[in-house]
Amino acid sequence: MNDQTLAQALAECTEEVLEQMFFVRPLSDATDEDLPASHHLIADVDFAGEPSGHLILSVSQQAARSIAADFLAEEEPVLSEQQVGEVVCELANIICGSVLTRVESSALFRLGSPRLLPQGPQPKPQQGAVQSLKLWNGNLTVAMSTESSLCPAENESES
Amino acid sequence: MAYRVLIVDDSPAMRAFVRRVMEISGFDLATCLEASNGAQALELLHTEWVDAILSDVNMPEMDGEQFLRRLEADEALRHIPVIIISTDGTRSRVERMLDLGARGYVMKPFRPEALRAELERTLEVSSE
Repeated sequence: MNDQTLAQALAECTEEVLEQMFFVRPLSDATDEDLPASHHLIADVDFAGEPSGHLILSVSQQAARSIAADFLAEEEPVLSEQQVGEVVCELANIICGSVLTRVESSALFRLGSPRLLPQGPQPKPQQGAVQSLKLWNGNLTVAMSTESSLCPAENESES
Repeated sequence: MAYRVLIVDDSPAMRAFVRRVMEISGFDLATCLEASNGAQALELLHTEWVDAILSDVNMPEMDGEQFLRRLEADEALRHIPVIIISTDGTRSRVERMLDLGARGYVMKPFRPEALRAELERTLEVSSE
């Protein structure tokens, strides 16, 4: 298992989660030009076990409202900031668990409670795997890093 | 037959989503109760009866494992089928939860029809 495998799992899981549970189909991978310095909602999830590490998800505000509206089946104008934040945290949580399950199918890990970080410009991840996606009304970036190397998932090594 | 289901999850957004998924998937839902952790769920189950429980694993105060242990230890409650809904689909976690008494396991992300199928399978097995 290396960073490339983690990056592949992160890319696949992010798209799968967005499509299956948030009813969002990304338009394409985002380039630097697609990532303006607008304010983003940022959620952080720590995980402990083998491996330990964390995931940071950043999504532009308008895209976050649309995702929350679809997830909760509500109209965007009636959504509170708290509801949008809860959905962004849940999105980060599901992506994180999904990636860990895919790359570490035999290990026990424990996810921390996802939390919102202060809003601000999109962070520039310095290490680990990163997946940036262009959505129809904004963009979303997920970065995941681990403190130790990952072991191959059993189902992967068997295939 | 319409069913009474209890959703146990610390995320209000996830509880709302699961409830909606049951409704749109065509599952015959009569009543949906909600609790934000195992302790709150146990308190609710002392006054309300349900046909099935959908529970998260990672929750504050009383997590899914502790909740399952308490249910199994309670003669009045141990017959209620519990389906775990979790982002953690590792083999060890699934085996652990099934060993503790869970009757089903749905891994997030899931499609609405997958949750409905697991609910109906579990309820069917429990009624036999």
